[in-house]
Amino acid sequence: MIDKHIIFFGWRIIIFTLKFIYSTYQFELIMPNNNEEEISRIKELESINLSSDEIRDSVVYTKKQVEKENELLASKINLDLKNNQIKSFDIVGAIGAGKTEIISQIVDKVQKKYRTLVICGDITTRVDADRIEAHNAETVQINTGRECALNAYHIHQIIKNKDLQNYDLLFIENVGNLICPSDFILGTDKRIVVVSTTEGEWVIEKHPMLFKMSDIAVINKIDLKERLGTDIEKMIADAKKLNPKIEVVTTSAKTGTNIEKLISIMGL
Amino acid sequence: MKEELKAIERILVDIKSISKEELNNMLKSLFTKISNHIDNYIGDYPTFIEPVYLEGNVEIGDDVLLGPNVYIGANVKIGDYVELSNTIIFDDVILGNNLKLENCIIAPNSHLNFENFKCNSTILSGKADSEKNLTKLSF
Ligand SMILES: Nc1nc2c(ncn2[C@@H]2O[C@H](COP(=O)(O)OP(=O)(O)O)[C@@H](O)[C@H]2O)c(=O)[nH]1
Ligand SMILES: [Mg+2]
Repeated sequence: MIDKHIIFFGWRIIIFTLKFIYSTYQFELIMPNNNEEEISRIKELESINLSSDEIRDSVVYTKKQVEKENELLASKINLDLKNNQIKSFDIVGAIGAGKTEIISQIVDKVQKKYRTLVICGDITTRVDADRIEAHNAETVQINTGRECALNAYHIHQIIKNKDLQNYDLLFIENVGNLICPSDFILGTDKRIVVVSTTEGEWVIEKHPMLFKMSDIAVINKIDLKERLGTDIEKMIADAKKLNPKIEVVTTSAKTGTNIEKLISIMGL
Repeated sequence: MKEELKAIERILVDIKSISKEELNNMLKSLFTKISNHIDNYIGDYPTFIEPVYLEGNVEIGDDVLLGPNVYIGANVKIGDYVELSNTIIFDDVILGNNLKLENCIIAPNSHLNFENFKCNSTILSGKADSEKNLTKLSF
């Protein structure tokens, strides 16, 4: 099952890259720091090994091109948002960690201050968009079908069709998992990674990439901490070890604990 | 939504009766009225960016991206790797593989029986095995 998924995802990357194969222009990448170098090295490992020797070079080339295209689009998105004074957040995390519940709570609390747009990514349904819309935010649902993360192209397609002057705040709820979203930045100011006590205290050390790439880590469902006996101190230490700059906040979207604190860490 | 679609369909018959600007405005106002209706397609989990409205008996190939602002009429067959945004497809249309259409209108009964074609702000009509044989009117 897992093998099948990996092969499948490898193909998805190749297919996705074909959409951009005609692009010929290059652009200068900002000199990466050590952390960014490490991230790009990890990225190169996946999926390339599926390609036979005959196509290996072109697969590597196309994959790099697509990554550049995504980064280029993400910078364009960020510029468009900044030009319209929109604060933006990409929220990633496993299925059921509490992303939708946290966004709903925040939207509720800041709705007098900000006109909010929420883009929800899920493979199918508009369940999450409907839940958030009940808290008076405008929503757009993206159903990725078989893709396990949103990418900058999806987001750009939405914002280029919107009058951005109508918004002050953008949330993007990414497709639920702790793996694929690390392949695509979306051009938001900040990325928030959400995990919860129900996922066990090893979840952070087992998914280092997203913690290295995020600005804020939320450990949610602390109302269940006693019942589950989850070692939250270990989770906090793991996040800090992976990314000393990351802000960690423990929350309960159910009881509302520390949601205000999260809002203030987000600078809202 | 249906009224706006009917108006656009009527215009296709006598396209010179309207300016490019008027047509663009009609499309824009249609897009604000498209509601999301995507549960009824035949195919294998395409990507949808809402709003997308699908009429009955729409067949969708692999790795297709539809939306935002897409209306697809009844009995339409969409090939693999197709990408449509800000586009309306009337009834009984066939789209080949790897077509990327943005801000386009495809007239009823059109057959785009070819692959690898990109198009912007154009009305397309006819039954064609090659892109060259299609009737195109840009706006
Ligand atoms: N006990 C508890 N349940 C929560 C909390 N946050 C979310 N949930 C519940 O967990 C489930 C999944 O939450 P959801 O927001 O849909 O997670 P998502 O998949 O990350 O968007 C829902 O039933 C929520 O009500 C929390 O802090 N404590
Ligand atoms: Mg959710």
